[in-house]
Amino acid sequence: MDMDEVLKTFIAESQELLLQMEDALLQLEHTPGDADTINAIFRAAHTIKGSAGLFGLDLIVAFTHIAESVLDRVRSNELQFNAELTALFLQVGDHLARLIALVDAGADLNTLEVEVQATHETLSEQLSYYLAPATAAKPVASQPTRIERGNASGLSADHWHLSLRFGPDTLRNGMDPLGLFRYLNTFGRIVSIVPLLDRLPSAAEMDPETCYLGFEIAFASDADKATIDGTFEFVREDSLIRILPPHSKSDEYLELIRTLPEEDMRLGEILMRCGTLTAAELQEVLLAQVEGQQRDEAQPIGQVLMEQSLVQAPVIAAALQKQQQIKDNRSNENSLIRVDANKLDKLIDLVGELIIAGAGARMTAKNCGHSEMLEATELLSRLVEEVRDSALPLRMVQIGATFNRFQRVVRDVSKEIGKDISLSISGGETELDKSVVERMGDPLTHLVRNAMDHGIESLQTRQANGKPAQGNVCLNACHDGGNIIIEVTDDGGGLDPQRILAKARERGLVSDSQTLTEQEIFNLIFEPGFSTADQVSNLSGRGVGMDVVKRNISALRGTIELSSTLGQGTRVRIRLPLTLAIIDGFLVNVGQAGYVIPLEQVEECIELHSDSAITRGHLELHGQMLPVVRLRELFDDDSTPPRRESVVVVQQGGLRAGLVVDQLVGEFQTVIKPLGKVFAACRVLGGFTILGDGSVALILDIPRLLTQLAAPRSAVPFETKQSYAHE
Amino acid sequence: MSSASAENLYRILPLEGSLSIYSATEHMGLLLQVLAPDAEVELDLSAIDELDCAGLQLLVLAKQEAGRIGCHLRLSNHSPAVIEAFELSGLGTFFGDPILIKPASE
Amino acid sequence: MAKTILIVDDSASIRQVVGMTLKNAGYEVIEGVDGKDALTKLDGRKVHLIISDVNMPNMDGITFVKNVKQMPAYKFTPVIMLTTEAGDGKKGEGQAAGAKAWVVKPFQPAQMLTAVSKLILP
Repeated sequence: MDMDEVLKTFIAESQELLLQMEDALLQLEHTPGDADTINAIFRAAHTIKGSAGLFGLDLIVAFTHIAESVLDRVRSNELQFNAELTALFLQVGDHLARLIALVDAGADLNTLEVEVQATHETLSEQLSYYLAPATAAKPVASQPTRIERGNASGLSADHWHLSLRFGPDTLRNGMDPLGLFRYLNTFGRIVSIVPLLDRLPSAAEMDPETCYLGFEIAFASDADKATIDGTFEFVREDSLIRILPPHSKSDEYLELIRTLPEEDMRLGEILMRCGTLTAAELQEVLLAQVEGQQRDEAQPIGQVLMEQSLVQAPVIAAALQKQQQIKDNRSNENSLIRVDANKLDKLIDLVGELIIAGAGARMTAKNCGHSEMLEATELLSRLVEEVRDSALPLRMVQIGATFNRFQRVVRDVSKEIGKDISLSISGGETELDKSVVERMGDPLTHLVRNAMDHGIESLQTRQANGKPAQGNVCLNACHDGGNIIIEVTDDGGGLDPQRILAKARERGLVSDSQTLTEQEIFNLIFEPGFSTADQVSNLSGRGVGMDVVKRNISALRGTIELSSTLGQGTRVRIRLPLTLAIIDGFLVNVGQAGYVIPLEQVEECIELHSDSAITRGHLELHGQMLPVVRLRELFDDDSTPPRRESVVVVQQGGLRAGLVVDQLVGEFQTVIKPLGKVFAACRVLGGFTILGDGSVALILDIPRLLTQLAAPRSAVPFETKQSYAHE
Repeated sequence: MSSASAENLYRILPLEGSLSIYSATEHMGLLLQVLAPDAEVELDLSAIDELDCAGLQLLVLAKQEAGRIGCHLRLSNHSPAVIEAFELSGLGTFFGDPILIKPASE
Repeated sequence: MAKTILIVDDSASIRQVVGMTLKNAGYEVIEGVDGKDALTKLDGRKVHLIISDVNMPNMDGITFVKNVKQMPAYKFTPVIMLTTEAGDGKKGEGQAAGAKAWVVKPFQPAQMLTAVSKLILP
């Protein structure tokens, strides 16, 4: 068999894989997100890339590499296949088929026809948009073992010195040090080798499959350090490998001696036996060693490697510092691990259960009145809280990757609608819960498109108003207390409140008699079936309205508000909780039922002295009229109210309201559990939680409750009975 | 003076095939079993055709264990595989047994 | 006695190129088209090294290596995993399964030969 024959195999195989890829892509339209189908697409790209590499078809390798990286993000759920991406991959498949046909025809891929080249570049660029900056074509650089460069003042040894202490699992992993030595001998000569048997235990403690051996080797070779270093690439992870080039300096040998686990004098002798050091040189090295030790006598040489202190003799201080840095870097890299998101979810779930169980224990302890027990549970609660605080950040990811995807969207849409618009991004390093980030993609897409389509004016209008020709859309994220704020801002024409109001009246969303504040008018945009665009453009024809955006945000327990200055631009501000799983809650009782109000939305609690304080659904508080809702009536609770009730004043986004409850129980951590579909119609519930005593409490969705209280009557899907009575 | 029987005084243990990680546990038992105080034990390595670092470690262990209990352990009839492994690892001199050098194959 | 290497990859062209390279270097080569096929090809044969792709139909490389490592005859057989830059997570999985060596795809035939030589010479 020769290379030409194998190339034929490659071509046939690639053609078949591309067909499979196309089938899978089309299949995906019916079963989106199907893991097997996505994997089939990935495998096609992956195999073509791998095979193309064997034939040195670098152009195909590079191209499939980008495609594969995008697919990898799909596989890890960082990205979803949508119509756009599917279309792109169909084009990618076509292009690959073309390249492979060229290979088949014996063409040189380095000089493509102009048209093919253009397609190649366009597709590569489009694919790159789907890559997070971190994953974009990153060459894998293996971390080289540290190798000291000798120079003029080096010692006499004209061979490399290798110090090897093999890790315990080396043999079990199928790596035989002898095999490595044989390999070394293929490009050099082992001049001398001294085995180190110190770690070999007695017969009773010996595990015959564990590797206990170490070696000091003098190695003569003209090979470069990368080649020598590369010999140990498969054993490096759990072995100690030190390599000194010929003619290294005396302090480099000293450092070697100090970092190796064996006793210094013995090592010195071994280096002499290897012929690496002469007797005089050893003397010199050990003298420096003694000087060093006088300054730092407590240094246990055997442990130097892992806990190198920085107080050292000046001779070697610099070298050691460098070594420390390298160690730090390496430990940083090693300390990053990839974890399946499901495992994290499971952990967070368990932490949630733990919090509930902890609350239960505390409640029991309180009831028992056992003070030591109480103390113990307090401590437990504090620790659980710490566990929670350390567990939650694990799910945090930066929003930057999501933001960056919009570069593509903005570019494409600008082209489509013929406006020159740039995107600026700030706060990309802001972190928020992974599941929140994932679910922000659609709402953000809509907001950005909306800003471009309806926000930014046409070129003529901009110029007429003395604005820069290029419009700008800005994505910004920042933290604000327990929330994250995401803003989509444009420097377009802004919204005209009067036009919105007129439209709302026309649609019957607002009655003619109602007067609304500017903010209330802007909020009408988020009502179902509202659109300000006089012309229906291609984009707004996509069928997603601002109401859907709002629903998406509310589902994340977030709020959305819009501010705008006519002629200057519009800002949509989304406020989201950092995490979805656990909140600090305030528990209240009504009848037999417990309700939880997110603590951050509780402003104050007041006693309600008599029912008569409430008039027309409002309560006078600090000289202002506060709308109030009786939870008893909201939830059709027939029980008799107690003589004395309380009012919890809640606020969010400038809106306030009072909730009338029977009893204030207090603060505690709440694990949010989603409600079943049965409750989907009940818009004011955000979920439920299980209390320490095992009973269930409902979590109130305050933002929704507030907006519904504030919204025009006709748009409110439910009301309290009391309010109805006043209509 | 030892009163061990003649049988105890001199033992030859022929090892054959592969002395490697695959057989390490088995061979360790065998080697430790054959060692006895005051005995003279000869490991015949003529039929070893594979020796890796796990095997080398075992031979070292046997030698050290023998020294500890006062047993004389000798390695003999080194096969080419054994010689190669000894040379490669630098362990030949550790055992101190005469190795019959055949025409060099390096 | 030539050393025997098992190469498992669903891509025929990779198997052929790697096979050709290794045979020319003096190794003996067995091929498997996926994990399942490779297990039947092994059948107790003495194999000195296994080279396996990760992503394969029927039985993927990780499962294959896990299986192989449970068989006494191959418990300590070194495994070279063929990984990709994009699949660094897989490298970790492969290592956990028992494949401690790896070659990053795409590779040139010479790179494969070098990696193999570090573990066994022909």
